Amino acid sequence: MSGTTVVRPAGYGVVRAGRGSFLVHRRSALVAGGLLLLLAAASVAYLCVGERFVGPSEVVRILLGESSPSAFVVAELREPRLVAALAVGAAFGIGGALVQTVARNPLASPDIIGISQGAGVVTVAAMTFGIGSYAALPYLSIAGGVLAAALVYVFAWRGGLHATRFVLIGIGFAIALRSLTTLFMTKGDYLVAQQAQIWMTGSLNGRGWDESAPIRWTLLLMLPAVLWAARAQRTVSLDDDTATALGVRLGRVRLGLVAVGVVLASVATGVAGPVDFVALLAPQIARRMTRTAQIPLLCSALAGAVTVVVADLLARRLLSPVELPVGVLTAAVGAPYLIWLIVRSRTAGGNA
Amino acid sequence: MSSRLTARGLTLAYEDRTVVDELDLAIPDGKVTVIVGPNACGKSTTLRALGRLLRPAGGAVLLDGEELAKLPTKRIARSIGLLPQTPVAPEAITVGDLVSRGRQPHQAWWKQWSEEDERAVTDAMERTDVAALADRSVDALSGGQRQRVWIAMALAQETDLLLLDEPTTYLDISHQVEVLDLVRRLNRLRGRTVVLVLHDLNQAARYADHLVAMKAGRVVAEGPPEEVVTAELVRDVFGLESVVVPDPVTGSPLVVPGAPWHAEVVR
Repeated sequence: MSGTTVVRPAGYGVVRAGRGSFLVHRRSALVAGGLLLLLAAASVAYLCVGERFVGPSEVVRILLGESSPSAFVVAELREPRLVAALAVGAAFGIGGALVQTVARNPLASPDIIGISQGAGVVTVAAMTFGIGSYAALPYLSIAGGVLAAALVYVFAWRGGLHATRFVLIGIGFAIALRSLTTLFMTKGDYLVAQQAQIWMTGSLNGRGWDESAPIRWTLLLMLPAVLWAARAQRTVSLDDDTATALGVRLGRVRLGLVAVGVVLASVATGVAGPVDFVALLAPQIARRMTRTAQIPLLCSALAGAVTVVVADLLARRLLSPVELPVGVLTAAVGAPYLIWLIVRSRTAGGNA
Repeated sequence: MSSRLTARGLTLAYEDRTVVDELDLAIPDGKVTVIVGPNACGKSTTLRALGRLLRPAGGAVLLDGEELAKLPTKRIARSIGLLPQTPVAPEAITVGDLVSRGRQPHQAWWKQWSEEDERAVTDAMERTDVAALADRSVDALSGGQRQRVWIAMALAQETDLLLLDEPTTYLDISHQVEVLDLVRRLNRLRGRTVVLVLHDLNQAARYADHLVAMKAGRVVAEGPPEEVVTAELVRDVFGLESVVVPDPVTGSPLVVPGAPWHAEVVR
């Protein structure tokens, strides 16, 4: 790396590495740094707070591997759940950002256009038929989410992907799948329905290393795809004709972006349930902070992680000793935001 | 006369409605070609097909003798630049950012910005006189400025062929002239081959080296404007009675429509 230079695309810097050169949006880099600090602070707070308070300095020492009487509480009880929260939040952030990019609509997030509902219906069906292990359920809900997304994509396709059609058909599927889920819940017995209800709200309760393994592996394996997506997003944000004229294979790029987004959101849903509104909110928050022309992926991931960690921290402590499902809190913040977004888009005709 | 871009027996259709039927067309290299015709005659559709935005239902568009449909789209983008009729900019994008996206076909994932890119973008922005707007948001520009920014983006692509679909629509007359002069400058100074779709027959006659008149999906006449634009052609293509006189400034044909409606005077 030989440092950055000021170039034409206003607000960008160029990082050169060997023969490669990479555009970095400077404001986004600053925002990412800020979010990272915030995330670190929230994570430490998350590990401090609980039935028993552990001081921040002690938490840091435990994380560095020093022995402590509180090591068990912090490293064995709280840390695995924190990692699950981080991974789930980041995955929802990226998944939402990619689906919103392709649909060119801030409303198009996996929990609005049927992906979470697809994961939900398969998971609840599995619970009804007696499969209740948190290690097996994720794989089923991934299949459900991907299947729902594929159906929405196919039905919205008419010689090309029409963004509004995509969102409306998605919302239709979401409603249909939700009612199917309710059907399974009323069919099943009381205990299953209760377990399903909590899962449906989105909860990190009891998510340890084993339970969060699918999302951690998915994030790791999808990293190259996410790096590709971060660049590919640039061209998809232009209109169809202009993008095609610039030599973009729009159909393939869009399918690729949706696929990456759907897989991440589905796996996250499989692990924690549909934590409402994180996938919707995080990318929009990130974009408002970076003021970029497209949704910034890294910042979306960080905003998603911060949202889930803070929400779960509050969910654990707000009504303690009763633990709320994290989805209750994200929904409490997200629903008013959604209304605001719709009201605003009607007056200003805004789009993603 | 050589032509890198040609259409052979080109048939174009939306769903099952045929818009252009067995069209043969050769775009002369290094010239400004203007396609004119009444609404819905297939002129924009033809331009879209020349820029591979529309797949032919029959026949082919050839670039250097090779079928467009069989060439990698990125390779086409290094030879043909195209500005659609109503391009949409991402919300809040800056002028500099938008123009720099014209470099897309010359870039790769690991090569996101080269000195060549820098030079091409700077050049395109100076040529279209938008360099001073680099940090402004595209949303906040006037119609004329915005059109210049889009043209700058297409120029930054640095293609030998440039296709512009009604670049003067929605602009007032001074901005129309500005855009058309810019096109001519590019052609005369840089030797770019330009194809324009225009609504205004008189502007077409002024700026075209090669004029193509279309009607109902077919080419009715083509050639230098002074040979093509006649009162008969205007009647045939547009169904309008007119008088064609030499333009007092350029000498190119000027179409003056017949007398406007007036009440008959009864004595």
